[in-house]
Amino acid sequence: MKKLLLTLMALVLLLSSLALPMSAEAVTEIQFWTWRPEDTNFYEKVIAQFEEANPTIKVTINAIKNTEYNTILSAALAGDSAPDVFMSRAYGGLQTFANSGYMLALDDLMPELKEFSEATRMGATSITDGKIYGVPAVSQTMLCFYNKKVYEELGLEVPKTWDQFIANLQACKDAGYDALANGTKEGWCCEFLFGGAGASQYSGNDFYNKVVAGETTFEDPIFVSAVNDMLSLTPFMPNMYEGVAYTDMQASFINEMSAHFVGGSYEAGYFKAENPELDFDIFPVPGKTEADPAYVSVYADMNFAIAASSKKQDAALAFVKFLATPEFGAQVVNELAMVSSIPGVDVSANPFIAKVLELQKNNTPYLFLVGFRYNQPTGSSLFQAAAQGMMTKQLTAEEVCKQVQEGIATYYVPFQK
Amino acid sequence: MRSKHMKKAAWIAFFVTPGLLVVFVFILMPLFMSMFNSLFGWNQLIRLDFSGLDNFRKLFGSYPYQERFTNALGNNVKWFVMTMVLQNLAGLLFGYVLSKRIAGSQVYRRIFFIPVLFSIVAVGFLWGLYLRPNGMVNALLGAAGLAQYQSAWLGNAGTATYAIILVNIWRWLGFPSLVFMTAIDNVPAECTEAAYLDGANEWQLFTKVVFPLIIPSVTIITVLTIIGSLNVFEQVYTMAGLDGAPNYATDTIGTLFYRTAFGSVDSGAPEIGVGSAISVVIYLMTFAISLLSIGITRSKEVEL
Amino acid sequence: MTTDMRFRFASGPKKAFIVLMQVAMVSYILLILYPLFNMIMSSFKSTRDIMRFPFSLPDAFSFDNYLTVWVDKGFGLYFLNSFLYTAVSMAFVVLLGSMAAYGVSRYVFKASTLLYMLFLSGIMLPLKAAVIPLFQIVKGLGIMDNPLSVIMVFIAMGIPSTVFILSGFMKTIPLALEHAAKIDGCSDLRIYSQIVMPICMPAVALVSIYNAVPIWNEFFFPLVFLQNDKFKTLPVGLSSFIGQHSTKWDLLFTGLCIAIIPMLILYLFMSKYFIKGMTAGAVK
Repeated sequence: MKKLLLTLMALVLLLSSLALPMSAEAVTEIQFWTWRPEDTNFYEKVIAQFEEANPTIKVTINAIKNTEYNTILSAALAGDSAPDVFMSRAYGGLQTFANSGYMLALDDLMPELKEFSEATRMGATSITDGKIYGVPAVSQTMLCFYNKKVYEELGLEVPKTWDQFIANLQACKDAGYDALANGTKEGWCCEFLFGGAGASQYSGNDFYNKVVAGETTFEDPIFVSAVNDMLSLTPFMPNMYEGVAYTDMQASFINEMSAHFVGGSYEAGYFKAENPELDFDIFPVPGKTEADPAYVSVYADMNFAIAASSKKQDAALAFVKFLATPEFGAQVVNELAMVSSIPGVDVSANPFIAKVLELQKNNTPYLFLVGFRYNQPTGSSLFQAAAQGMMTKQLTAEEVCKQVQEGIATYYVPFQK
Repeated sequence: MRSKHMKKAAWIAFFVTPGLLVVFVFILMPLFMSMFNSLFGWNQLIRLDFSGLDNFRKLFGSYPYQERFTNALGNNVKWFVMTMVLQNLAGLLFGYVLSKRIAGSQVYRRIFFIPVLFSIVAVGFLWGLYLRPNGMVNALLGAAGLAQYQSAWLGNAGTATYAIILVNIWRWLGFPSLVFMTAIDNVPAECTEAAYLDGANEWQLFTKVVFPLIIPSVTIITVLTIIGSLNVFEQVYTMAGLDGAPNYATDTIGTLFYRTAFGSVDSGAPEIGVGSAISVVIYLMTFAISLLSIGITRSKEVEL
Repeated sequence: MTTDMRFRFASGPKKAFIVLMQVAMVSYILLILYPLFNMIMSSFKSTRDIMRFPFSLPDAFSFDNYLTVWVDKGFGLYFLNSFLYTAVSMAFVVLLGSMAAYGVSRYVFKASTLLYMLFLSGIMLPLKAAVIPLFQIVKGLGIMDNPLSVIMVFIAMGIPSTVFILSGFMKTIPLALEHAAKIDGCSDLRIYSQIVMPICMPAVALVSIYNAVPIWNEFFFPLVFLQNDKFKTLPVGLSSFIGQHSTKWDLLFTGLCIAIIPMLILYLFMSKYFIKGMTAGAVK
């Protein structure tokens, strides 16, 4: 027993001695954290390019599981051990860290940020001081994917009105497909279903601007009616859709068991990777008449930020500036199949992204994420839970809207008049 | 006499101090530091001034915390009752027959603990597969001609919590079984034999002789069930998500605490003050109920 | 012997009881083995096939996934790290935990219940709740990004339930045994190590496996405290297969299969202590 203990102690000592810092070298080492483990290879490649151009800087990437990312980043920031550069959420998620003084304002350090579109900059801007705290990386678009082979087989056309959309769903259902892959087991799947299918029904920006200003409420008849439209999709969703999880939805569309998938443009890369033969395209879910603009909900996602406490801010800035170049943007487009927020990025090599950009002409902010994720309870969490209640027939659309309205009104000043 | 006392105290200190020190530094101290945060106001991650019991008032007196807390606590009660009744009772039965060398007991005791060895990620994914609408459970129901009972087990507000609890029972059933088996193994044979010769039947042997002698194990299992039920987090987090989907049907005070204190991608900014207040409530409740149940079972213990 | 569950000598109702229990236990065994089988089979499939035909057999038993995980993804090192951290932590959990259990349960003194509850209160809240203060403590001790950080946290995580469970078992050992040893001149340390611990082996085995599994599978604290790739553990490696919008289920299952093997071996090894007879003699 004693011998065993001694050996163990020796092991502990050995391990701890390994942890001693290496002797200082001329290169500056910086840490970069991301919540996208699936993109690790991509970032390693980008880092290699950066290091080649900047031989005195070495970047170490640490990819942390998405669901644990905020907690671990909070602990590291509060414990003064933050990474020099980290990926930050947009909007409300950025606000948390910016308000706490953990992020470096980039307005003066990076004049090139002025060239970014206002919409993408908004995701990186603190609403309390108006400063920009990150380099916007990508924008995500909520739209409808459809299987082109199924459309050809059934002789369907891309719908121009809501009624045509429903007719197409009916045709797919009659042909034995799951017309719509979407399920509602996870709350956030309800939110993106509504973001994709609902925006045109509540007239997009018109309603968004009014509700943000407090000129109308979520109990506005046009909004209630849009929520009801989402409910009317249930006959076209899979059997027992309330138990269908996000991964099931993806698998169903990838394996051509379903004809449509309402979701985010970020799916494209995964769809293609899993089933290269899958022939899909996208359309915006149309409004009631052909004259109504067909909206897609858009939000800024991922900002590259510098920790205020970083002792290597010059190196960090150099890296973040690299992540703001059109060359990096082009790689995001071509290798991650995402829409880069960087201005002047050539998208011609990726027809899918070009198409997304075309749809973005009628863009409206992704309602709850963009406008109402700054306080608890967030619009997102209120809507997600209530919408699940509606999809399982426990709540009506009116009740959903009432719950959302009352929840947000507990803190949202324009609603408290 | 005095030196004997000193000696005893020194031995106690020798045995207890090292463990206590580690637990104190790495668990109790951070836990109390974090609970202390409930007495302060917070702006995002920055602590503001002392605010007394404001966070507790907010938790118990304002929308939506009050509703969420009551709802979550109700689910914790379901966890406790179902675990006690199904898992621990079955565990006691299994432990008893295993100890009494039922045919195959050597094999059973080598397999029963395997579900605990699974990583929660595997448990969540595999049972998600079995319980999904086109999964194995519904397929078996269909094959048995019970198609009317098919359900979206994890998506229905009425079944989701129970489904997750049952999966957890599947995972942990081996533990009470083995604890009770070990305890019953330790009951001296002369005790049961004496009672048997006095003409007691097997049921009486169990209730009058064996059960009183394994009360310490009953305490262990009961208290661990209380603590486990009030601390449920991982299982719900893995199978239903941090928001206790659908529509808070599976929410527990553990998940409520976590998303309030740390925020989440969907639920937004952390509210450390109210979150810490929830943790204080969990801690006090767990402590009080555990102490109560230890007191009750201790009074029933018999000395050998 | 009188109450053995032997079918042949049982009365009518007891036969029915035995049959009922056998049915229940065999069903449980099937419910255990199928997911295990399912997990192993999935490690030989592609992600797409796992999603498409989750219950089918793999097309071929190729070990490509294992090679990818073990070599390309660096799981060889992760495995070794996990093994070291778990072994060292468990050695101290059992040592310090059983000592404390002995101190709390075998001496009669006023503060014993208080001490007992103090230990127990270490599992009354998930430690995740205290990650921010814990982070500051670990940093203050200068063991950030050092395996000692997770080892200390693991030891602390294991002790409360070890003390709780072992003291429950130690209480059932007749005090007379100890008095006899004391008269023979045994020191308290020897009574603990030579008399009480050997009797408690089944419970020690149970507690070891009960604590080793969560420590082995724990991914949160290593993720928080260890940034350097060379210190990372198996569960942290596994978490890197779980993306925000896509998960590499093939590699994840392969990793899970690798991860469960040491725990299976430990359990099978420990389970020999559960078997009656080895310990029954010691009590008498």
